[in-house]
Amino acid sequence: MIDKVDRAAADSPPLLRLERLTKSFGNHVALKPLSLALNRGKILGLVGENGAGKSTLIKLLSGLYQPSGGEIFVDGQAVQFPSARDALDLGIATIHQELEYAAHLTVAENMLLGEDWPRTPWLATDWHAVHAIARQRLESFGISIPTDIQFESLSAVQKQEVAIANALARKAKLLILDEPSAALTEPEIKRLFGHLTRLREEGVSMIYVSHRLDEIFTLTDEVAILRDGSLIEHGSTRGITAERMVAQMVGRDLEQVFPHRKQRLLGQPLLELEDVSRAGMFHNISFTLHAGEIVGLAGLVGAGRSELARAIYGLYPIESGTMHYLGKPWRPRSAQQAVETGLVYIPEERKRQALVLDHSLRESISIGFANLISRFGFISTRQEKAKVDSVLKTYDVRSSGPDQSIGQLSGGNQQKAILGRWFERNPEVIILDEPTRGIDIGAKAQIHKLVEELADQGKAILLISSDLPEILSMSDRVLVMNRGRIETELIGDEKTEHNVVLAASGLSREEATA
Amino acid sequence: MSATSPPAALRSSTARLIYRLFPSAVRQRILFLLIGNLVLLGYLFFAAWERNSSFWNELSSIAPNIAPQVLGAFALTGLIYCGAIDLSIGSIIAVAGTSFGILHYYDMPPLVCYAGCFLTATAFSLLNGFLIRLLKISPIILTLGGLTLYRGLALIFAHLAIPDFPEVFTIQDEAYQGPGKFYAGEILLVVLIPVLLWEAFGKLPRLWLAVGCSPVACERQGLDPARLRLRAFLFSGLFLGFAALILVTNPQQIKPSQIGTGFELTVIGAVVLGGTNIFGGQGSYLGSALGACFLYLVSRSMIYFGVDAYWREAIEGAVIVVVIGIDCWLHRTEKLLEELK
Repeated sequence: MIDKVDRAAADSPPLLRLERLTKSFGNHVALKPLSLALNRGKILGLVGENGAGKSTLIKLLSGLYQPSGGEIFVDGQAVQFPSARDALDLGIATIHQELEYAAHLTVAENMLLGEDWPRTPWLATDWHAVHAIARQRLESFGISIPTDIQFESLSAVQKQEVAIANALARKAKLLILDEPSAALTEPEIKRLFGHLTRLREEGVSMIYVSHRLDEIFTLTDEVAILRDGSLIEHGSTRGITAERMVAQMVGRDLEQVFPHRKQRLLGQPLLELEDVSRAGMFHNISFTLHAGEIVGLAGLVGAGRSELARAIYGLYPIESGTMHYLGKPWRPRSAQQAVETGLVYIPEERKRQALVLDHSLRESISIGFANLISRFGFISTRQEKAKVDSVLKTYDVRSSGPDQSIGQLSGGNQQKAILGRWFERNPEVIILDEPTRGIDIGAKAQIHKLVEELADQGKAILLISSDLPEILSMSDRVLVMNRGRIETELIGDEKTEHNVVLAASGLSREEATA
Repeated sequence: MSATSPPAALRSSTARLIYRLFPSAVRQRILFLLIGNLVLLGYLFFAAWERNSSFWNELSSIAPNIAPQVLGAFALTGLIYCGAIDLSIGSIIAVAGTSFGILHYYDMPPLVCYAGCFLTATAFSLLNGFLIRLLKISPIILTLGGLTLYRGLALIFAHLAIPDFPEVFTIQDEAYQGPGKFYAGEILLVVLIPVLLWEAFGKLPRLWLAVGCSPVACERQGLDPARLRLRAFLFSGLFLGFAALILVTNPQQIKPSQIGTGFELTVIGAVVLGGTNIFGGQGSYLGSALGACFLYLVSRSMIYFGVDAYWREAIEGAVIVVVIGIDCWLHRTEKLLEELK
């Protein structure tokens, strides 16, 4: 059973206390009365499926929403946050999932954006002082990043580090981190966790939101589980098992989320790569993808995985080596050619690369197979409707109907719609690039099941993912890329997180040569 | 910290920090325009030498000739920084010209006429800013309306103020032509230098760029993007005031129905050529000035080169497309890699 939350520090009021906090939008209750307390130096994990009320709670705490009822206490004082600024002033800083920054301004300018800038006696901005302040903030957080480079040139983890360092410099007592790991690779997450554990020791409290339960277990002291806008459970993280947590979140167990890959017979080789290279992107890549096989492609962001996938898909040519597809030499001139011959690539950032967000669900889905159902350039509406309806049903896309704009759907449903769009073409080889990033656990399980079924039907699947449990449990074998090269191939018992992380960071090679 | 370092090193490192404020795409464009302008000047020198005409005359006529375009480009640069635009500047100049003409008609002293012209331009620019903030309409749509509305207003004002308005204000007295005819170059320099210093040491242009990059980021940091945009319209109005003053006081006749038509497009061309992103978020005032200068030198060179007048306009347009096209093509791989990040 779950331990009662440690209330040793009960003599001083908790840092944050919520008393029957609610939020409704019209008739829709997004957050039912919620009471919760968080002490200093504790990390609270906040978990729940998409739509469970996590974002609503975060927005209430960061001053972006106003509560419909209930109260927020900080250090025992009832407070209100009419704006984001007020929350910041009271020491509550939120690191949003989508970091917003002025991409073309320097790091220092971004850090001091809303503040007064030091000036010289003749009223000019004292750039030296501006950079000195920024540098000092970063240094006191223990990182060193040049402050005069463009903010967009930072890596994902550096951007977060800057945001956190800046929040702390403004005396944040409570850090709210919304899915900070979604854009990070494994070593980067480790680095982030290092910072967070250190901050906890310094007495900073945190609310950590993540879909990745392994992180919740590694990092948090307490966990709060939300479902359908209600707080289902709140207790010590040590007192709860992963199975129970998942069950509380969705009402199904973990085995369904990460099905164990059963051994199966391999079919014909469908896609063969030999010594494939493109300067600056990937080098000497050789592997074979068989029918009925799921091959995982692991590695850090920037290791060349997506770059390789795009070359196979025909977005740009390879410079040397040979590719064979269905036994014939494969030199795609365009992505269209790939799609027409049954090789599809489902890209990583669905919002940017795969979706026209304003389009209706119907258009978004039928675009994938429009040429199959059109005659003389006109799409048969009847066939389109039938096909779209069947996609929505088969892939369990939850929407108010085919005319809803796809941008309004949750990430999971968007992704299911896109997968449906492409799978309806009955492709032979499917390249999936981060298919479940930022998707709730229920939709994730459905997507995993779908991919399994496709492999069972004899499709060949190349799965690119930074989610280690996913790639390890889904793939028959895992290729690990590092700096544009395939570092190693892991089969059977070698498929462990440890081995993947080692190879992805290039450590296995260094160890071998040392 | 800086007290101990020698002044020379301090200066150079300040320069370095300012240099680093600009994204490499903007820096490269500025470099290109600097070289391009020098090459064109070289050609003009050669052409003048060949014809035994004075290169000095050519050189000293540049500033007065490009003054309205550069000032107009400054007016739009700040707006474009924060993701806004003003398409009605040509028509605002018509209104400013009309108020100048009316004041002149009623025998006001030159200074009053100048002030009336300047303030009208600034006021209408601010009006655009207020309307955009109040009605929450996209700047491009509101000022597209302003483009025809204000020109209509100019004609209405003229007809209301002057009985039997002959469709044109005639200004014979040179006392009323100071800014445009005699001091355009000086006015340009007097504005240009503070603007460049402001670009290097000011906070406001940087905040406008931040608004253009991400209004949400500004809001989360406690800034008010709407207020910043309104201030951009105020500054735009000031620059536009100078541009209007020069354009209005140069010719002997001001035709409210014609003056300043197409000015907005010439100016947008210069701004975009100068490396400012038309969607906001990055750019530079220096680039806008160099862009306006480049377009002028191209058209001058074509005259000496004997390019037919019909071709000249087409080529001027093509220059913008080609420069930006080459730039995009050169950065294609970079962008591709950026996409992959």
